Amino acid sequence: MLVEYSSLITLIALTAILAFSFYAVLIAGQLSLAQLGLASLAAFTSSLVVPDEPLFGFIPPLAVGIVFGMCVGILAAFILGLPVIRLRGVFLAIATLAFGEMVRIFLINQTWTNGAQGLGFPKLVGIEVAWIALIVVAYWFWRLSGSRMGRAFAAIREDELAATTMGINVARYRMASFVIAGAVAGLYGVLLAYFSRFADPNEFSFTAAVDGLVTAVVGGVTLFVGPLLGSVFLSVLPELQRLLGINAGWIRPTISGVLLLVVILFLPGGLSGLIPRRKSAKRLVANPALRPDLPALPAPGTELVSLQGIGKSYGGVHAVRSVDLSVQAGEVLGLIGPNGAGKTTLVNMVTGLTPPSTGTGVVLGAALTAGTKAHRLAQSGVARTFQQIKLFNRLSALENVLVGGYRITHDTLLRRLLFLPSARRFEREAVAMASAQLIRVGLGDKAANAAGDLSYGDQRRLEIARALASHPSLLVLDEPAAGMNHVEAGRLSELIRSLAADGIAVLVIEHNVRMMLATCDRIMVLNFGEVIASGKPADIARDPKVLEAYLGSAGNDADVEAASVLAAENLAEVAVELAREHEQGPDAVIGDDAEPNGAAEPEDKR
Amino acid sequence: MQLFLDGIFLGSIYALFAIGFTLVFGILDRLNLAHASVFTAGALVGIEVVSRFGISIWLAIPLVLVLGALLGVLIERIAFRPLAGRHDAHFAGLISSIAFGAIILSLLQALFGADTRRFPADAFPQARFEILGATVSLLQVIILVISVSLMVVLTWLVAKSKLGRGMRTIAENPHAAAVLGLNVGRISSTTFAISSALGAVAGVLFTLNVNAAQLGIGHAVELKALAVIVVGGMGSLPGALVGGLILGLSEVLAVNYIGSSWRDMVAFGLLFLILILRPQGLFGARKTREV
Repeated sequence: MLVEYSSLITLIALTAILAFSFYAVLIAGQLSLAQLGLASLAAFTSSLVVPDEPLFGFIPPLAVGIVFGMCVGILAAFILGLPVIRLRGVFLAIATLAFGEMVRIFLINQTWTNGAQGLGFPKLVGIEVAWIALIVVAYWFWRLSGSRMGRAFAAIREDELAATTMGINVARYRMASFVIAGAVAGLYGVLLAYFSRFADPNEFSFTAAVDGLVTAVVGGVTLFVGPLLGSVFLSVLPELQRLLGINAGWIRPTISGVLLLVVILFLPGGLSGLIPRRKSAKRLVANPALRPDLPALPAPGTELVSLQGIGKSYGGVHAVRSVDLSVQAGEVLGLIGPNGAGKTTLVNMVTGLTPPSTGTGVVLGAALTAGTKAHRLAQSGVARTFQQIKLFNRLSALENVLVGGYRITHDTLLRRLLFLPSARRFEREAVAMASAQLIRVGLGDKAANAAGDLSYGDQRRLEIARALASHPSLLVLDEPAAGMNHVEAGRLSELIRSLAADGIAVLVIEHNVRMMLATCDRIMVLNFGEVIASGKPADIARDPKVLEAYLGSAGNDADVEAASVLAAENLAEVAVELAREHEQGPDAVIGDDAEPNGAAEPEDKR
Repeated sequence: MQLFLDGIFLGSIYALFAIGFTLVFGILDRLNLAHASVFTAGALVGIEVVSRFGISIWLAIPLVLVLGALLGVLIERIAFRPLAGRHDAHFAGLISSIAFGAIILSLLQALFGADTRRFPADAFPQARFEILGATVSLLQVIILVISVSLMVVLTWLVAKSKLGRGMRTIAENPHAAAVLGLNVGRISSTTFAISSALGAVAGVLFTLNVNAAQLGIGHAVELKALAVIVVGGMGSLPGALVGGLILGLSEVLAVNYIGSSWRDMVAFGLLFLILILRPQGLFGARKTREV
């Protein structure tokens, strides 16, 4: 039985290793078709160095080949990665496909590879070697999946921009996944050549690359056993059909095609999506003693952000012109203004996502220039949320917050590979930190839910928890109360005050003017990219220029609502002045600011 | 001169395949890898109706056109539409179209076998002309004329017609298009039908030109077509034509001056360089991300 099927069983392992090579890039959201090219480079070059006799008398020839092949895979993947790593999606797939084909044509035209006739290899790989190699590779990816690096890959796959603002160096991690995939591809190439005893560059073709990709996708990338499942499924299927007596040449590919279609259409997570996932990473650790020791925040009053004459223009359009801004530790600075006033552009510059066109600025000691990297700023303590929510939708709420803790946690991959106790301790610390933030924003009971399934308000709160998990000195909130009702907005206001009390500088954009008046220490008003007013909330509320800006814009419901609140404030002001003039009791009028009697629009859109 | 013309004719076949390819990508943002199988189906079915039933090639081409359109509708319905709204629609669409293409190929194998097949020798008029000292066949001229006119007609269709406006709206934002009352499903089906009809006809013309067809021809051309649409700019119709001509010319020149074993290096080297230096291609527009 084993003898009869030994070749099939070996091939299952080899195909699974190839699929792992695709898996390594897919988990970071990249699609590379260069894997077969890397594998063939490794296979053919290894034939040049593998000795006939054990090296130094004790290192087996195959070990030399494997190490050499993996090094070739790593090196080639790195060199290929340098120019192509900035490409995305289909473009990356096509560029890597082109690379694979170029390698194939190159190898065919070389004499040392024996060209299209193919090259003979000694038989050094059997069932045991193949499966040991597969187990080692699978072990690596199993330990990777729960480490900080694994979480960073997942975050990049789900949302690159959000990952950047968590302090993750996206380019470096993408390259890392590329290089890991290259190592695995090199391993596959060497094993395949020394198993099948023959290799011809044309075997490592586009079709073979597609087969490898299909294996990885059918197996699924949500769990490390996916590539193995895919390989078993696709290798055993033709064999099964043969046993059932299906022999016509065309029926087998038809059935395989139909099954592949069914899997891809009806099993979005691939075959591994059928396996229920372990829940350990979804449990909260509420014990505060387990939280990591955190560095102290800057002393209250320290200037963290200082912008002078900062501006941004797109083509001829000035989104922001010459704004001065200063934020101190422990204060809440509000940024309001009608739709399109340039608020988000301004905070994008503060968080390093958009380079300023003019002016100078310093954020947490780093100058804002064209070369400022958002992940660097995040590393030095800037955290933010987004106007259009950017969560890692398929990760659980707790996993989202764990990614947020990237900056203050340790990478645990090496420790996890060796099962060191410190790996568990670091992971527990990270979960404790994340749990505390989830509980703080009131999502403690939803830790295990997928972020994408949460309600809109909960998603806003989860983004805040994720930002807080990095223990930021400066927190930027872009419309955190959007979609929240009055009760929720009130709670959010309390949360923001308590964060400031902890010593965090909070820069918040919000259309809910009433909440802003109650929450902020200072408010800056932008209109058409310029600061039109700046000062204490009470003064802003009664500044007719601010009301005018909102009335003039009439952009959307939020602007109208803001205008009505401001109008009520202005009315109250007028009433107070009138009352003073007539020396009557004005209290009745002031106390009644919930009813904007006669103001332009109904104030409450609910 | 002969080299130049040969390059232009080879390029116009690549362009014909690539125009259908890029139409779907430009409008629906999907790479349809079953396109190669439609190409093969067009070639083999064309050969079958001409050689078995003795139908004139001028009737066979419209038949193949209709067959291609039907296949296109099936591809859209079965391999792409069920994926709409899935976060991994890009990856999944690649794989499901590969699966669907494999099914088409295996059915073709069932119908026609795996052997190389040819059009009967007299299927197409063998007229030849002399132009500026170079020999040109009627077929080559027709292929060039068809490619250019299809490009012009399609560009007009996408830019001016009601259908084209619908297509471009969907390209911009499928969700908003549905809200505006556009029948997104029908427009997508139509796009796939046009694209696949072109692919199938390209198969017939290609086979007439090289006078041989087997199950694998689609894949070879598909890789070239990827190069063509990237060089021309993903989604750009004039780009597909220009890209096809550039590739055809450079291949012919490479064969002549470097050697035929390095021919394919040109396509992929060009592809690689363009992706690195100018990822949006010669005629493509760069899409920007927003926060």
